[in-house]
Amino acid sequence: MADKETTESMADGGLTRRDALVKAGVVAAGAVAAGSVAGAATAAPKRRIAQAPRRGGRMTFALEQDPVHVAPFGAILTSNHWGKQAAYDSLVEWDRNLNLKPALAESWRISADQKSITFNLRKGVRFHNGKELDAGDVKYSVEKMLAPPLPGSVATLGQIPSFDGVDVVSKYVARLRLKARDARVFGFLAWGRYSPIVPAGLYDQINASRGAIGTGPYRMLGFDPNDKVEYVRNTRFWKQGLPYMEAMTLKTLPDEQSRIAALRAGAIDGATLSSDGANSFRNDSGFTVLRGGTAAFRELQFTIKGDPKPWHDIRVRQAVNLAINRQAILNTVYSGNGNYSGIVPPGYGPWPLTQAELKTKYQKFDLVKARALMRAAGQTRGFSVKLSTFSTPLEFQQIAAVIKSQLKAINIEVEIVAQEPGTFAANNGIGNFEWDLTARGMRGDVDGYMNEYNPAIPAYRAWYPNWKNVKVWRLVGNGKIILDPAKRLPVYKQAQILLQSELPQIGIVQVNKYQVVRKRVQGMYVAFSDFNTGLRDTVWLSS
Amino acid sequence: MTGYVLRRFLATIPILIGISIVIFFMVRLLPGDIVDVLLGGDQSATEEQKQQTREQLGLTGSYPEQYWRWASSFLQGDFGFSYRNTQPVSEILTNALPITLELVILGLLIAVVFGVPLGVLSAVKRDSAHDYVARVGGLIGVSIPNFWLATLLLLFTSRVFGWVPPLTYVPIYEDPIENLSQFILPALSISVFTLAIVMRMVRATMLEVLGQDYVRTARAKGVKRKVVISRHALRNALIPVVTIVGFEVGILMGGSAIVEIIFGLPGIGNTLLNAIFNRDYPVVQAATVLLAVVFIYANLIVDLLYGVLDPRISQE
Repeated sequence: MADKETTESMADGGLTRRDALVKAGVVAAGAVAAGSVAGAATAAPKRRIAQAPRRGGRMTFALEQDPVHVAPFGAILTSNHWGKQAAYDSLVEWDRNLNLKPALAESWRISADQKSITFNLRKGVRFHNGKELDAGDVKYSVEKMLAPPLPGSVATLGQIPSFDGVDVVSKYVARLRLKARDARVFGFLAWGRYSPIVPAGLYDQINASRGAIGTGPYRMLGFDPNDKVEYVRNTRFWKQGLPYMEAMTLKTLPDEQSRIAALRAGAIDGATLSSDGANSFRNDSGFTVLRGGTAAFRELQFTIKGDPKPWHDIRVRQAVNLAINRQAILNTVYSGNGNYSGIVPPGYGPWPLTQAELKTKYQKFDLVKARALMRAAGQTRGFSVKLSTFSTPLEFQQIAAVIKSQLKAINIEVEIVAQEPGTFAANNGIGNFEWDLTARGMRGDVDGYMNEYNPAIPAYRAWYPNWKNVKVWRLVGNGKIILDPAKRLPVYKQAQILLQSELPQIGIVQVNKYQVVRKRVQGMYVAFSDFNTGLRDTVWLSS
Repeated sequence: MTGYVLRRFLATIPILIGISIVIFFMVRLLPGDIVDVLLGGDQSATEEQKQQTREQLGLTGSYPEQYWRWASSFLQGDFGFSYRNTQPVSEILTNALPITLELVILGLLIAVVFGVPLGVLSAVKRDSAHDYVARVGGLIGVSIPNFWLATLLLLFTSRVFGWVPPLTYVPIYEDPIENLSQFILPALSISVFTLAIVMRMVRATMLEVLGQDYVRTARAKGVKRKVVISRHALRNALIPVVTIVGFEVGILMGGSAIVEIIFGLPGIGNTLLNAIFNRDYPVVQAATVLLAVVFIYANLIVDLLYGVLDPRISQE
């Protein structure tokens, strides 16, 4: 077995954000999501070139969750994007280190008032139905992003930057108008999750829930709910020489033991597994175990509203933060693998606080100090609290159990309430909880992590209307409209440092994701975005 | 007979109405609706946007209004569309039902084909080694959860034979061999409980029947033992077994959900379970009513079989 911390690298190095801007001839920096200011993201893998990729073959990769549908716009589920991502491209993209790269747009220019971006489209790009990409397709796609047809939901609009519309300047030039300056635009586009470019009239041509017409490396043959998504190679893909495989099937197998059995029997070529599941392949020479951090991290959320509760006192929240031993959580639940996490996950470009900062300063386990803070808050005898969490995956209850035992040391009696995911989401959304152990996933822009502290958004009013910090509000609000990453970075750093003291939410740990592939599968890696980006971009089969 | 069937048919109507009402309200009693599920962990949507989504999905109006809209469309053959992927519910069920029916029929076949002879053998050779093995086996059979057995079978065949059932569903009329190799392990997994129940029931009723006068008389008249067992005893012993098999259809359909997930079969159990998690109300409602219909008519067939097995039982 080879246990790799996703060390293979793409043959083509990505442009850094700065390179891309220079290439596009842009002086004013339009701020993007995790685009690197100081080089690659912290999770950047080391370059290791092996043999030259071989063309051909077909593979089956198991999905642990059904995509439900593959409609391009308005879907929240991560698995929706797993299902559709090989079929679609966006105007720009990230490389595996989250560096921004041109995609369907070869270059772009930001207007002086930073309220419009003109994209020069790549010429000669063909959709899977043979139609050539033009600016009208960009206009149609953006319109659908802003008003996603069913089964997409307008409930996803909160993710979309302040797009106003698209002007067709010429066949290959599209101007994206913004209602206001917005630093989230490039991250949103590069993420691709809500921003595919589709041919104009897509929804009149096919059932977009069950099929796709994009420009991506693979052409979708069809999606059968609860069963499979089938792809064949797009022979006219605009990236020369890609993709490598002839065909690919994504098979829905929600049960982990089924995925393990299917891997062993050769019925599938790869799958995402838990750390225990991946460990069962550790001594098997026929497989490669891939491990890597993803944007998904676990956090403890408080409600600060209504009748006074002990944790409405900042000192109690600080005591809780100090009494949580994150390394013990990693050791107990994740076999020692993973990272400490603040409210921006480690590896998300230059934005998060460093591990050293978290371990030695902001998330240092210090029971003495925690007890002193409880004493100062008049909570020497502690209190009882209900901690709600997901019933599945089981790791949430395991983390909750460790936190429960740790907080006994400061006399907080935690009652764990495990809830079915739909119930949990409903209660969380309306702030119907005392404490929640929850998770955050990938975001197109760092603002996606910070906007929860913006009093203008509904979640703030549901979760902590009685918590107030004008300085944080100002930083979070400014960060959203500062387009230059170099100027934006200190703003968000400062906001995070303040939030590490205020703690309306407490970051806990970032977990590793494990994927096991058969030896013949080359070029696969655990994508930080939690998507299976390698499958569409870099995977090839050695036999 | 026709009158009896007609009466039973009419009796199913209030049952189905009752089931549809209970299911309609039960799924809505779950905290959170489809919009909460659609939102997942992202809480940035406004209440207006959520409301707009509800309107798009037709989730407006009081519950009785919503029920009336759904029921009247349902009666006109319009089962609605899935909230999650806009696929017509009728299409979802048409694709999923044959898979579950095949699984259940195969499970029943395995249970009856093996359960009845084992039960007879156990009764005829009472207190022999055969009997003890069958009884212990039966006890194990009723104790093993089918999802556990399914997982075990899957891991066993993959480890020992390097084989798992084909992952892509192939209808039996397209490739019977491929289809059966796909269904054999799932069918075995869901059949074991029913097999054990059938075996124990056959044993118990056979023991009772074998001690009755007409069996003794038949033997005294010189009828061969095999004929007495198969024609005289077994036929009468099967009546309660048929009842059990009718009920087992429901149990097998329920048990099929987890087994379908484990084996990656896109059947109705798998579909229903996902629809419940996703608060996909139209799919849940239609699938449940459909399962109820299958269960009710399976039991109607069982009732009609009584008359075939024992002509003394008149359906009139």
